[in-house]
Amino acid sequence: MRHVPPNSCDLSLFLCPKRSYATCHFHSLHLIYSSSSSQLFTSLFSLNFVDMAPPSLLETATVVEKMVTRNVDLRSDTVTKPTEAMRAAMASAEVDDDVLGYDPTVLLLETEMAKMMGKEAALFVPSGTMGNLICVLVHCDIRGSEVILGDNCHINIYENGGISTIGGVHPRQAKNNDDGTIDIDLIEAAIRDPRGELMFPSTRLICLENSHVNSGGRCLSVEYTDRVGEVAKKHGLKLHIDGARIFNASAALGVPVDRLVEAADSVSVCLSKGIGAPVGSVIVGSKNFITKAKRLQKTLSGGMRQIGILCAAALVALKENVGKLESDHKKTRLLADGLNEIKGLRVNPCSIETNIIFIDIVDGSRTTTEKIFKYLEERGILLMQEKASRLRVVLHHQISASDVQYTLSCFQQAVQIENGN
Amino acid sequence: MAKVAEKMVTRTVDLRSDTVTKPTETMRVAMANAEVDDDVLGRDPSCFRLEEEMAKITGKEAALFVPSGTMGNLISVLVHCDIRGSEVILGDNSHIHIYENGGIATLGGVHPRTVRNNEDGTMDIDLIEAAIRDPKGELVYPTTRLICLENSHGNTGGRCLSVEYTERVGEVAKQHGLKLHIDGARIFNASVALGVPVDRLVRAADSVSVCLSKGIGAPVGSVIVGSNSFITKARRLRKTLGGGMRQVGILCAAALVALHENVEKLESDHKNARFLADGLNEIKGLRVDTSSVETNIIYIEIEENSGTTAAKLSKDLEEYGILIMPMGTSRLRVVFHHQISDSDVRYTLSCFERAVAGEPNENGN
Repeated sequence: MRHVPPNSCDLSLFLCPKRSYATCHFHSLHLIYSSSSSQLFTSLFSLNFVDMAPPSLLETATVVEKMVTRNVDLRSDTVTKPTEAMRAAMASAEVDDDVLGYDPTVLLLETEMAKMMGKEAALFVPSGTMGNLICVLVHCDIRGSEVILGDNCHINIYENGGISTIGGVHPRQAKNNDDGTIDIDLIEAAIRDPRGELMFPSTRLICLENSHVNSGGRCLSVEYTDRVGEVAKKHGLKLHIDGARIFNASAALGVPVDRLVEAADSVSVCLSKGIGAPVGSVIVGSKNFITKAKRLQKTLSGGMRQIGILCAAALVALKENVGKLESDHKKTRLLADGLNEIKGLRVNPCSIETNIIFIDIVDGSRTTTEKIFKYLEERGILLMQEKASRLRVVLHHQISASDVQYTLSCFQQAVQIENGN
Repeated sequence: MAKVAEKMVTRTVDLRSDTVTKPTETMRVAMANAEVDDDVLGRDPSCFRLEEEMAKITGKEAALFVPSGTMGNLISVLVHCDIRGSEVILGDNSHIHIYENGGIATLGGVHPRTVRNNEDGTMDIDLIEAAIRDPKGELVYPTTRLICLENSHGNTGGRCLSVEYTERVGEVAKQHGLKLHIDGARIFNASVALGVPVDRLVRAADSVSVCLSKGIGAPVGSVIVGSNSFITKARRLRKTLGGGMRQVGILCAAALVALHENVEKLESDHKNARFLADGLNEIKGLRVDTSSVETNIIYIEIEENSGTTAAKLSKDLEEYGILIMPMGTSRLRVVFHHQISDSDVRYTLSCFERAVAGEPNENGN
């Protein structure tokens, strides 16, 4: 019995009835080897222990007709699994009760993040949604508050409307441009005139999102961010940045992350996305802000006990993976260019700034998103269907260059089949 | 000549709460090896296993892992009371009412109707019934939808609600078309102390919130249990509150180990509590209601003639390495867990004796 260490990829055994031939690989699935009858027989196992049976047994083994595929998960950068180094760090993390006192590893992470982001203090939270929810609610802690945010931003679309349903904050939505920005004059127009307060809520906060996911991971420049910051200051408002993928933006723009968020009063940064930690986000802001945030976190019930375990993994992630983001972006551009060459598909190359690609089906093409989606899924490639004629692909450090090639060739086949080639 | 530090060498005996339990070696190994996946986009397999196990143990259809007991209660109350204008009946000395930042109201818009908690953790059945709003008055009343019990009851010193009492409250709830939620942060302690299996103990409840990070000893988390449809709504609200975590199986793997290893250790935590309670009660100047020590919590009253206060005694004990929780000017709380050994208990008792007698701390033994 051979023990396969945990967290290896699936193993495939190819069994051929005529020729007993078994190949096992730890990190990728390989080789279809046809028998003399040119049929492919495979058995797929996902095991911790592999029984290397002698050839004679293999010949009589039952075979399954499923295609052999590898696993290329492009649904999101949240799917990243903890690495060996992270697992080792988690196993040996120094911990304590972070509600009654301070968990030392949490403190290490929060100190590091505050420093990296150029803010006074930080707070580890279970998710980006909670990061944003806490920030909006702390800035808008007086009943009757309003926040200005993009109509196509994550907070507005994918956070269950929590700022309103849970927090009682009124959202004033301003149109997001294709590049993730909101026109400055539209922001200003959305700010409530205090003279109308008898019937208006009070604007207290502006939210930006960098990189902006629904526009395909587009980056807000430091100049734009600073200009919005000035508008906020002029009107006595706060500025919060949903920086779930702020590290991607920083890498793509070549701007240090603390400079990028200098104008913001608070930022919510995800560690569980491209940075690759298993769980969590960190909010950063002033000491005063974080004190209130910690209390609201307890109320929202994100106050966890020996949470240093997850923070230990996050610390490893920060050390190891920020430097890998640029190569995620390179692979993304490679894939995007390749996809754009496929007749029937269209990718807007100017919109590829970080690790996200939106793929549109060209009008008149005989293929559909469902067909492509299914074809790719059968070959182990997972992605997201955004709407009727659009697919989304997100790259991360656990997608290799060879995965990208494989994905591209499967896309090519998927479209060719439908277009009758 | 070496510099001699003035602080005495002491061991640490952390009796502030059973939340302080640190992960054991087996938990750390389990966490390092946990099979994980994105629990928001799909299901994390370790989380799934934990939830299945908890549903089975509690005799409910489904379960949901949440970051904390506060979220377990918050989600449960808000899901049962999802219609605006709802009211929940709960004890005036319950954890939800005292220590959860009033979240059910400030975040959830649910109105709390408090009923007096007795010293044994119960509320009088007739007072519960009297608190239920008459629908005929609905023009001016909120609508009662839920009754909450807490078992074991923290603020009365870890007192247990019997299965008979729980079922009577369940009948009242049914009779009036209300739901019943049990804050079962320490339900395993209650189950062990009463000698009643957990699923039997919570049978009358529509939902239960169970802490794994307390006496069970997991590093993080609680689990809500209830019907399939309840848990489906709970999962959505969990996401809204920001409790949707990704590769959370890491924490669930530790919790599974905790469930397998530590439930049976609770009885000895209770024995330790009784031993210390009896010993403390003998100390002149301290008083413990030993009949109220049913599980792992002791409240210690400091008598007026004792010459010390909660704050002072707490500080003196800290010099010996013993951490406890002062509760007010003349009250202390001590909570046991599996990482407190028999020898820690004896050490604690002797330190209490010396601290109350006003002896200077000459050596840390």
